[in-house]
Amino acid sequence: MSEAAILTEGLSKSFGAQTAVTQLNLRIQPGAVYGFLGRNGAGKTTTMRMLLGLVRPAKGRARVLGLDPTNEAELMRILERVAFVPQRKQLYGWATPAELVRMNKAYFPRWSDEAAAQLAQRLEIPMKTAFKKLSIGNQSKVALLLALAQGAEVLILDEPTAGLDPVMVDEILRTLIEDHVSQGRTVFVSSHHLGEVEQICDWVGILEEGRLLLESRLEEIRQEFRLVIASGEGLPDVASKDVVSATTDGRFRRYVVAREAERFAAELRSQGAAILEISPLGLRELFLHLVRKEDPCTPGNAGAKAVPVSSFS
Amino acid sequence: MYAWKCWRESRARFIFLLIMFSVSALLFTLGPGLGERNGWWYFDRTEYLNNPWPTGRVVFSMILSVLWCSGFLSAVFLGATASGSEIEPGTIEYLWTRPRTRTSVTWIHWGICVAEMVIVAVVPMYLAAALLGTLTRHWNSSGPSIAGLLIAPWMMVIVGLPVLGLTTLMTALRRSASGGLIYTAAVIIVYAILRQIIIVPLHLNPPTLFTGPLIWLVNNNQFGGPPITFPWGSLWRAVFLAAAFPLAAQYLLKRAEV
Repeated sequence: MSEAAILTEGLSKSFGAQTAVTQLNLRIQPGAVYGFLGRNGAGKTTTMRMLLGLVRPAKGRARVLGLDPTNEAELMRILERVAFVPQRKQLYGWATPAELVRMNKAYFPRWSDEAAAQLAQRLEIPMKTAFKKLSIGNQSKVALLLALAQGAEVLILDEPTAGLDPVMVDEILRTLIEDHVSQGRTVFVSSHHLGEVEQICDWVGILEEGRLLLESRLEEIRQEFRLVIASGEGLPDVASKDVVSATTDGRFRRYVVAREAERFAAELRSQGAAILEISPLGLRELFLHLVRKEDPCTPGNAGAKAVPVSSFS
Repeated sequence: MYAWKCWRESRARFIFLLIMFSVSALLFTLGPGLGERNGWWYFDRTEYLNNPWPTGRVVFSMILSVLWCSGFLSAVFLGATASGSEIEPGTIEYLWTRPRTRTSVTWIHWGICVAEMVIVAVVPMYLAAALLGTLTRHWNSSGPSIAGLLIAPWMMVIVGLPVLGLTTLMTALRRSASGGLIYTAAVIIVYAILRQIIIVPLHLNPPTLFTGPLIWLVNNNQFGGPPITFPWGSLWRAVFLAAAFPLAAQYLLKRAEV
């Protein structure tokens, strides 16, 4: 197996009593487009910041392109090869995008003026207007331009489309897809927009309260993952290593099964359970099943707990 | 490129301070020759030519009475743009994800500020010295108060350096420019008040912490006063604090998480 573009092993971080990330194990292959999903406060931003040396891990280790972000010399090499678009796209308000391009260019040996000019034209960025006078959409575009023209091997994007209208979102996503196709960069992107993630990602990781609940190929989720709804007495929490989660909904038990759902259903039947439904899962349904603790729309599910993954690899 | 960014961010304050102090120094230099006749201002050079030494001293005293604070002011206003001030507004995520160490960022900013402080202190004083030399026709450095005008800016810079370091440290602690400014001012004011509270009732006269060179400059220029020994202790304390504060800021910023 080739060296992972991003690797974390037992990565943990707390802020006082607040646990942000717990025992996080990620392995992102070079060239992958990895969607990092989770609710607000799940630990996505903290994870990204640990990869970029903005936050120090409390435990565990992280490697970006095989380099350790906690070592200053190695961090400098990471930052030369990794582009970051933060959630808060805050750049110097007094600077015009043209000035920001000039400023950024000096930092990165693989900077491409040609790419910057093409992106500026394509995204219709007003290059001579001060950053603070740009709309949020244009500010996001500037941040993306700076990241893409940097010539990075890895793009880390923290909610790149947050607060943008659908047209802007579409434009930014198309730019990202085209960039990925032409450059083959590894993209690690966090988002709350599951549709976006389905559009551009080939891998997803779902984080909840700092724990990775699931990591899988998107294709595998579409083809293999199933929701099994069963009823009966004494149904198991996790009956198989393929069960990703189990929640109780009144008299029913809902299982998210990673593969061989029919075999799992047969096992339940053999224990006297009635199988009410076996249905495929989209990313949205899967995400909601994994992270939802209370669902006021379906009172039966209130207070149901997602069971942590025992094994699904 | 970070140096350019520091310059770009501080240039408005720098130009404002430079113009303000240069205009003040030139006006004070021309002051003894200005008069009013029939509602019109006029300039008479006689005073400079007939009494070059007393006129030179008056000019020097007037300039010092205002420009003594140039080192402090430029230190506070320029120092408030240090990288710690970028944490609260959020631009620090951009800055700290460029491939430059936080240490280099801290010291590049410090270097730019020192260069600007030197220019703000030196240019007005040297302009005044050149004008005074021209008006009195005493060009060499032993001319009337010319030596004082040539030395004064360096004293202002030396005394300003600890304040620059303190502002850099406070912006790192408070994580914003306004917080850094307020806390720097608070530290200086509280220190001055405490010093007075301790000195007055106890009849003590402890040496000044680091403003000695500036006080020496002002007192040494007073008419009829005896020559005063240069406060070397205060100078070394200034040098120590000038290095210690930014080093502390560097340490804080290196460990800071955002």
